[in-house]
Amino acid sequence: MAAKPGAATPTYSPKLVGRSRLPVFKDSDLDWSRPDGRGFHQCRPALLQTGAVSSASGSAYAEFGNTKVIVSVFGPRESKKAMTYSDVGRLNCNVSYTTFASPTLGQGTDHKEYSSMLHKALEGVIMMETFPKTTVDVFALVLESGGSDLSVVISCASLALADAGIMMYDLITAVSVSCIGKSLMIDPVIEEEGCEDGSFMMTCMPSRYEITQLTVTGEWTTPNINEAMQLCLDACSKLGEIMRDCLKQAASPSDE
Amino acid sequence: MVGLSVGEQHFVKGGIAQDLRTDGRKRLAYRPIYVETGVIPQANGSARVKIGGTDVIASVKAEIGRPSSLQPDKGKVAVFIDCSPTAEPTFGGRGGEELSSELALALQRCLLGGKSGAGAGINLSSLLIKEGKVCWDLYIDGLVISSDGNLLDALGAAIKAALTNTAIPKVNVSAEVADDEQPEIDISDEEYLQFDTSSVPVIVTLTKVGAHYIVDATAEEESQMSSAVSISVNRVGHICGLTKRGGSGLDPSVILDMISVAKHVTEALMSKLDSEISAAEACEDES
Repeated sequence: MAAKPGAATPTYSPKLVGRSRLPVFKDSDLDWSRPDGRGFHQCRPALLQTGAVSSASGSAYAEFGNTKVIVSVFGPRESKKAMTYSDVGRLNCNVSYTTFASPTLGQGTDHKEYSSMLHKALEGVIMMETFPKTTVDVFALVLESGGSDLSVVISCASLALADAGIMMYDLITAVSVSCIGKSLMIDPVIEEEGCEDGSFMMTCMPSRYEITQLTVTGEWTTPNINEAMQLCLDACSKLGEIMRDCLKQAASPSDE
Repeated sequence: MVGLSVGEQHFVKGGIAQDLRTDGRKRLAYRPIYVETGVIPQANGSARVKIGGTDVIASVKAEIGRPSSLQPDKGKVAVFIDCSPTAEPTFGGRGGEELSSELALALQRCLLGGKSGAGAGINLSSLLIKEGKVCWDLYIDGLVISSDGNLLDALGAAIKAALTNTAIPKVNVSAEVADDEQPEIDISDEEYLQFDTSSVPVIVTLTKVGAHYIVDATAEEESQMSSAVSISVNRVGHICGLTKRGGSGLDPSVILDMISVAKHVTEALMSKLDSEISAAEACEDES
């Protein structure tokens, strides 16, 4: 990506809402900072790039801290013969990990459901009726797992779909929040995910202000849910702008 | 799959809009719930739950296993769901597999809590026998016998009832052994331990049809849904898990609204379920 020299890598931290969040440190006995020295409501710098794979119809590469993901989109192409006629298109998603993605060998079973979750996050936003009888394949490969993998995969996939020229209602952005003790931290890294009390992942369409997918695990109080949702919505809209800029940059003819 | 004519579709949607559904219920009313426990003698605990035309069985089996190296102080729980083609022809082959794994994932998310174990319905530490060496592995199996919508809520209720019904034999571990050896264990035939299931959350699915949302949707109503949000809430009113189904997006305020409605509905459902489970347990003891 041809970033302007001198300009810092774009990030998409949500603005701090209302009061400062000092009590986070006071009330709980967690007097630690985050492993990578970020603020609790600060996201990792996002690097996004389209056109990473030349043979695909569209592709994108995303790097959020240590999480590195590549997504290729193929199609729309003819559905397999065995499939019956369908007047709307089909979406086929697959998320896989490289063998060296995570420090521990033998990946957990956690990753199996990612494919279906990616599918669910995307199906609502793609205009399936624009490619009847055909299938679009979305293949995501996690090169390095550094936390918040699924949200990075989803955001990256929507960028790749846009790059492939698949019609969508809006871009999809995904952000996750971890709850540890009383504090909420956005865009958790893998160390934080390992000890979290609850996780919250949201995908939304920033321009339409609609949530397409939401998963919550762990124990959450209603105020916490509200706060996490606000944080995510704000971060999603900012991430959306970065993604839009990335697409515009790729589309505009380079000056050199 | 439910095939509804255009007229029937209008009837279902119109009824929901006017707060009078096709079976006479209001939007936030459940069908009668029927619970029976101890239906499978081979399992450590089991229950059958019927909600209207939906009929599910959950069984809990406990086996001695080894704790994983990552969490040596905890037992393991696995949830499997089987949607058999006997319930519905579309469950045959891959169709059932997809739904089964989706339901199992949602239940796992709702029952097992976060990575650190916060909000878990089952206290995994209570399944430990000897740290790093021996623990109980719980296998929770759900079977869908007949499906008329709202499978997730029914399975959640069945698992809660089955866990209440579960008796795990007391295990005595022989005294000191070397670190690299498995200790000898002695499984008691007489003494059993019961689970504390008061913290197991109940799951409420709110299905959005048109502009309104309903609880306990039948298969007909589910075929008309735009999206559904399943929320599991525990006794103290905390949210233990949330999953969304259906492709269409929802406004953030609608989701927050759904959460507060779910919490309200849960209170009634929880007490209803508690009384049904204790009645079923009492009934089983008598026989």
